[in-house]
Amino acid sequence: MQLGRISLHTTKALQANTQQNTANTNKLSTNPFGVSFKGNVIQADVFQSAKKAAEKVSVMQRGKLFASAVVGGINSFNEAFKTRMNNIVSFGKKFTADVIEKLDRIGSTEISFDMSGIANRLFPDRQYSVKNLSTKSVDELKAMWQGIGQLA
Amino acid sequence: MENNAKIKNIIQALGQHKDSDAAIELLTELGTNCPDDEIRELTAQALIRKNTHESLRVVLIHQGKGINDLSARVAMTAINELLSLKDKGEAIKILDDTIKLHSEEDVKNTARSVRALMTFS
Repeated sequence: MQLGRISLHTTKALQANTQQNTANTNKLSTNPFGVSFKGNVIQADVFQSAKKAAEKVSVMQRGKLFASAVVGGINSFNEAFKTRMNNIVSFGKKFTADVIEKLDRIGSTEISFDMSGIANRLFPDRQYSVKNLSTKSVDELKAMWQGIGQLA
Repeated sequence: MENNAKIKNIIQALGQHKDSDAAIELLTELGTNCPDDEIRELTAQALIRKNTHESLRVVLIHQGKGINDLSARVAMTAINELLSLKDKGEAIKILDDTIKLHSEEDVKNTARSVRALMTFS
Protein backbone atom coordinates (compact mmCIF):
# COMPACT_ATOMS: atom_id res chain seq x y z
CA MET A 1 0.00 0.00 0.00
CA GLN A 2 3.03 2.13 -0.41
CA LEU A 3 1.58 3.17 -3.65
CA GLY A 4 -1.57 3.91 -1.78
CA ARG A 5 0.39 6.01 0.74
CA ILE A 6 2.22 7.83 -1.92
CA SER A 7 -1.03 8.40 -3.64
CA LEU A 8 -2.57 9.56 -0.41
CA HIS A 9 0.36 11.85 0.31
CA THR A 10 0.28 13.12 -3.20
CA THR A 11 -3.43 13.73 -2.99
CA LYS A 12 -2.99 15.57 0.28
CA ALA A 13 -0.15 17.62 -1.14
CA LEU A 14 -2.22 18.46 -4.17
CA GLN A 15 -5.12 19.42 -2.01
CA ALA A 16 -2.87 21.62 0.11
CA ASN A 17 -1.39 23.16 -2.96
CA THR A 18 -4.80 23.79 -4.44
CA GLN A 19 -6.01 25.37 -1.23
CA GLN A 20 -2.91 27.53 -1.14
CA ASN A 21 -3.42 28.58 -4.77
CA THR A 22 -7.03 29.34 -4.12
CA ALA A 23 -6.01 31.47 -1.20
CA ASN A 24 -3.45 33.22 -3.34
CA THR A 25 -6.02 33.68 -6.03
CA ASN A 26 -8.48 35.17 -3.62
CA LYS A 27 -5.77 37.44 -2.28
CA LEU A 28 -4.02 38.60 -5.47
CA SER A 29 -6.59 38.51 -8.20
CA THR A 30 -9.71 40.46 -8.74
CA ASN A 31 -10.72 37.82 -11.23
CA PRO A 32 -14.20 36.86 -10.01
CA PHE A 33 -14.32 33.82 -12.27
CA GLY A 34 -11.11 32.27 -10.97
CA VAL A 35 -9.87 31.47 -14.43
CA SER A 36 -6.95 29.10 -14.38
CA PHE A 37 -4.60 27.90 -17.01
CA LYS A 38 -3.04 24.45 -16.75
CA GLY A 39 -3.83 24.33 -13.12
CA ASN A 40 -2.42 27.75 -12.29
CA VAL A 41 -4.71 30.60 -11.60
CA ILE A 42 -3.99 33.48 -13.91
CA GLN A 43 -2.27 36.16 -11.86
CA ALA A 44 -2.79 39.00 -14.21
CA ASP A 45 -5.88 40.97 -13.57
CA VAL A 46 -7.84 40.83 -16.83
CA PHE A 47 -10.27 43.45 -15.55
CA GLN A 48 -7.64 45.96 -14.66
CA SER A 49 -8.36 49.51 -15.69
CA ALA A 50 -6.97 51.07 -18.88
CA LYS A 51 -5.10 53.57 -16.74
CA LYS A 52 -3.24 50.83 -15.00
CA ALA A 53 -2.44 49.18 -18.32
CA ALA A 54 -1.09 52.41 -19.66
CA GLU A 55 1.07 52.83 -16.60
CA LYS A 56 2.54 49.47 -17.21
CA VAL A 57 3.62 50.24 -20.79
CA SER A 58 7.36 49.97 -20.88
CA VAL A 59 9.72 52.61 -22.17
CA MET A 60 10.41 50.55 -25.25
CA GLN A 61 6.74 50.16 -25.94
CA ARG A 62 6.31 53.90 -25.56
CA GLY A 63 9.08 54.42 -28.07
CA LYS A 64 7.40 52.07 -30.47
CA LEU A 65 4.08 53.81 -29.97
CA PHE A 66 5.73 57.16 -30.55
CA ALA A 67 7.45 55.90 -33.70
CA SER A 68 4.16 54.46 -34.89
CA ALA A 69 2.45 57.76 -34.25
CA VAL A 70 5.16 59.58 -36.15
CA VAL A 71 4.89 57.18 -39.07
CA GLY A 72 1.12 57.48 -38.96
CA GLY A 73 1.48 61.26 -38.88
CA ILE A 74 3.80 61.21 -41.85
CA ASN A 75 1.34 59.01 -43.71
CA SER A 76 -1.50 61.37 -42.83
CA PHE A 77 0.58 64.32 -43.93
CA ASN A 78 1.40 62.60 -47.22
CA GLU A 79 -2.27 61.90 -47.79
CA ALA A 80 -3.22 65.49 -47.03
CA PHE A 81 -0.39 66.77 -49.22
CA LYS A 82 -1.44 64.51 -52.09
CA THR A 83 -5.05 65.65 -51.73
CA ARG A 84 -4.03 69.30 -51.78
CA MET A 85 -1.70 68.76 -54.69
CA ASN A 86 -4.51 67.06 -56.58
CA ASN A 87 -6.73 70.05 -55.87
CA ILE A 88 -4.03 72.43 -57.06
CA VAL A 89 -3.38 70.39 -60.18
CA SER A 90 -7.07 70.17 -61.01
CA PHE A 91 -7.43 73.92 -60.44
CA GLY A 92 -4.47 74.57 -62.74
CA LYS A 93 -5.97 72.34 -65.43
CA LYS A 94 -9.32 74.10 -65.15
CA PHE A 95 -7.66 77.51 -65.24
CA THR A 96 -5.65 76.55 -68.31
CA ALA A 97 -8.76 75.23 -70.02
CA ASP A 98 -10.63 78.45 -69.23
CA VAL A 99 -7.81 80.59 -70.56
CA ILE A 100 -7.63 78.55 -73.75
CA GLU A 101 -11.40 78.81 -74.17
CA LYS A 102 -11.29 82.59 -73.68
CA LEU A 103 -8.39 82.92 -76.09
CA ASP A 104 -10.38 80.92 -78.63
CA ARG A 105 -13.33 83.26 -78.10
CA ILE A 106 -11.08 86.30 -78.52
CA GLY A 107 -9.62 84.77 -81.64
CA SER A 108 -13.07 84.29 -83.11
CA THR A 109 -14.30 87.76 -82.10
CA GLU A 110 -14.07 90.61 -84.53
CA ILE A 111 -12.85 93.75 -82.79
CA SER A 112 -12.99 97.17 -84.33
CA PHE A 113 -11.72 100.43 -82.87
CA ASP A 114 -12.86 103.91 -83.60
CA MET A 115 -9.35 105.29 -83.33
CA SER A 116 -10.45 108.85 -83.97
CA GLY A 117 -13.08 108.68 -81.23
CA ILE A 118 -10.66 107.03 -78.82
CA ALA A 119 -8.00 109.64 -79.53
CA ASN A 120 -10.51 112.44 -78.99
CA ARG A 121 -11.56 110.91 -75.68
CA LEU A 122 -8.01 110.32 -74.52
CA PHE A 123 -6.84 113.72 -75.68
CA PRO A 124 -9.90 115.99 -75.59
CA ASP A 125 -7.83 118.99 -76.67
CA ARG A 126 -6.84 117.18 -79.85
CA GLN A 127 -10.23 117.83 -81.45
CA TYR A 128 -9.55 121.55 -81.07
CA SER A 129 -6.21 121.40 -82.84
CA VAL A 130 -6.05 123.60 -85.96
CA LYS A 131 -5.22 120.54 -88.05
CA ASN A 132 -8.31 118.72 -86.88
CA LEU A 133 -10.52 121.81 -87.12
CA SER A 134 -9.40 122.45 -90.71
CA THR A 135 -11.03 119.18 -91.77
CA LYS A 136 -14.45 120.25 -90.45
CA SER A 137 -17.16 122.14 -92.26
CA VAL A 138 -18.03 125.73 -91.35
CA ASP A 139 -21.32 124.58 -89.87
CA GLU A 140 -19.46 122.16 -87.60
CA LEU A 141 -17.05 124.89 -86.58
CA LYS A 142 -19.97 127.19 -85.86
CA ALA A 143 -21.56 124.56 -83.66
CA MET A 144 -18.29 124.02 -81.82
CA TRP A 145 -17.80 127.74 -81.33
CA GLN A 146 -21.32 128.19 -80.03
CA GLY A 147 -20.85 125.11 -77.87
CA ILE A 148 -17.88 126.69 -76.19
CA GLY A 149 -20.34 129.32 -75.19
CA GLN A 150 -20.09 132.51 -73.38
CA LEU A 151 -17.38 134.10 -75.48
CA ALA A 152 -19.33 133.75 -78.72
CA MET B 1 -7.31 123.86 -73.09
CA GLU B 2 -9.09 127.06 -72.23
CA ASN B 3 -12.13 128.23 -74.13
CA ASN B 4 -10.26 131.22 -75.56
CA ALA B 5 -7.55 128.96 -76.94
CA LYS B 6 -10.19 126.72 -78.55
CA ILE B 7 -11.87 129.71 -80.17
CA LYS B 8 -8.52 131.02 -81.37
CA ASN B 9 -7.91 127.70 -83.10
CA ILE B 10 -11.39 127.78 -84.63
CA ILE B 11 -10.71 131.31 -85.96
CA GLN B 12 -7.38 130.13 -87.37
CA ALA B 13 -9.09 127.16 -89.04
CA LEU B 14 -11.75 129.48 -90.49
CA GLY B 15 -9.01 131.77 -91.83
CA GLN B 16 -7.62 128.80 -93.82
CA HIS B 17 -10.98 127.31 -94.74
CA LYS B 18 -11.75 126.43 -98.34
CA ASP B 19 -15.35 127.62 -98.00
CA SER B 20 -14.25 131.23 -97.80
CA ASP B 21 -17.68 132.89 -98.01
CA ALA B 22 -19.17 130.77 -95.23
CA ALA B 23 -16.05 131.25 -93.12
CA ILE B 24 -16.22 135.05 -93.53
CA GLU B 25 -19.90 135.00 -92.63
CA LEU B 26 -19.19 133.04 -89.46
CA LEU B 27 -16.25 135.24 -88.48
CA THR B 28 -18.41 138.33 -89.00
CA GLU B 29 -21.34 136.89 -87.08
CA LEU B 30 -19.52 135.46 -84.08
CA GLY B 31 -16.01 136.89 -84.11
CA THR B 32 -16.53 140.62 -84.68
CA ASN B 33 -19.37 140.70 -82.16
CA CYS B 34 -17.47 138.87 -79.45
CA PRO B 35 -17.12 140.83 -76.19
CA ASP B 36 -13.56 139.57 -75.77
CA ASP B 37 -10.99 141.98 -77.25
CA GLU B 38 -8.54 139.21 -78.04
CA ILE B 39 -11.11 137.26 -80.05
CA ARG B 40 -12.14 140.39 -82.00
CA GLU B 41 -8.48 141.13 -82.64
CA LEU B 42 -7.85 137.65 -84.03
CA THR B 43 -11.05 137.82 -86.06
CA ALA B 44 -9.98 141.11 -87.67
CA GLN B 45 -6.59 139.60 -88.53
CA ALA B 46 -8.23 136.50 -90.07
CA LEU B 47 -10.61 138.61 -92.15
CA ILE B 48 -7.86 140.93 -93.43
CA ARG B 49 -5.64 137.96 -94.34
CA LYS B 50 -8.49 136.62 -96.45
CA ASN B 51 -8.00 139.81 -98.51
CA THR B 52 -11.34 139.51 -100.31
CA HIS B 53 -13.84 142.29 -100.96
CA GLU B 54 -16.35 140.92 -98.42
CA SER B 55 -13.84 140.26 -95.66
CA LEU B 56 -12.17 143.71 -96.04
CA ARG B 57 -15.54 145.51 -96.12
CA VAL B 58 -16.33 144.10 -92.66
CA VAL B 59 -13.18 145.50 -91.04
CA LEU B 60 -12.99 148.80 -92.99
CA ILE B 61 -16.47 150.27 -93.21
CA HIS B 62 -18.51 148.83 -90.34
CA GLN B 63 -18.91 150.94 -87.26
CA GLY B 64 -17.34 149.30 -84.21
CA LYS B 65 -15.50 146.61 -86.17
CA GLY B 66 -11.95 146.24 -87.47
CA ILE B 67 -10.23 149.61 -87.79
CA ASN B 68 -13.33 151.28 -86.28
CA ASP B 69 -13.34 149.11 -83.17
CA LEU B 70 -13.76 150.88 -79.85
CA SER B 71 -10.75 149.01 -78.54
CA ALA B 72 -7.57 150.77 -79.62
CA ARG B 73 -5.72 147.49 -79.42
CA VAL B 74 -8.10 145.81 -81.85
CA ALA B 75 -8.07 148.81 -84.21
CA MET B 76 -4.26 149.05 -84.21
CA THR B 77 -3.89 145.32 -84.84
CA ALA B 78 -6.27 145.60 -87.81
CA ILE B 79 -4.32 148.57 -89.20
CA ASN B 80 -1.00 146.74 -88.80
CA GLU B 81 -2.45 143.74 -90.57
CA LEU B 82 -3.63 145.94 -93.45
CA LEU B 83 -0.18 147.48 -93.74
CA SER B 84 1.34 143.98 -93.84
CA LEU B 85 -0.71 142.90 -96.85
CA LYS B 86 1.35 142.19 -99.97
CA ASP B 87 -1.57 143.07 -102.22
CA LYS B 88 -3.18 146.20 -100.86
CA GLY B 89 -5.19 146.99 -103.99
CA GLU B 90 -8.58 145.79 -102.77
CA ALA B 91 -8.16 147.45 -99.35
CA ILE B 92 -7.22 150.82 -100.89
CA LYS B 93 -10.20 150.66 -103.26
CA ILE B 94 -12.62 150.05 -100.39
CA LEU B 95 -11.03 152.81 -98.29
CA ASP B 96 -11.36 155.26 -101.19
CA ASP B 97 -15.04 154.37 -101.61
CA THR B 98 -15.59 154.73 -97.86
CA ILE B 99 -13.95 158.16 -97.78
CA LYS B 100 -16.23 159.25 -100.62
CA LEU B 101 -19.50 157.57 -99.85
CA HIS B 102 -19.87 156.54 -96.19
CA SER B 103 -22.50 158.31 -94.15
CA GLU B 104 -20.64 158.25 -90.83
CA GLU B 105 -18.02 160.95 -90.41
CA ASP B 106 -16.03 158.96 -87.87
CA VAL B 107 -15.77 156.06 -90.27
CA LYS B 108 -14.69 158.42 -93.07
CA ASN B 109 -11.96 159.99 -90.88
CA THR B 110 -10.60 156.62 -89.81
CA ALA B 111 -10.60 155.43 -93.42
CA ARG B 112 -8.77 158.54 -94.48
CA SER B 113 -6.05 158.02 -91.83
CA VAL B 114 -5.55 154.40 -92.72
CA ARG B 115 -5.52 155.25 -96.42
CA ALA B 116 -2.72 157.74 -95.75
CA LEU B 117 -0.75 155.16 -93.79
CA MET B 118 -1.13 152.63 -96.57
CA THR B 119 0.05 155.12 -99.12
CA PHE B 120 3.28 155.73 -97.24
CA SER B 121 3.90 152.12 -96.21
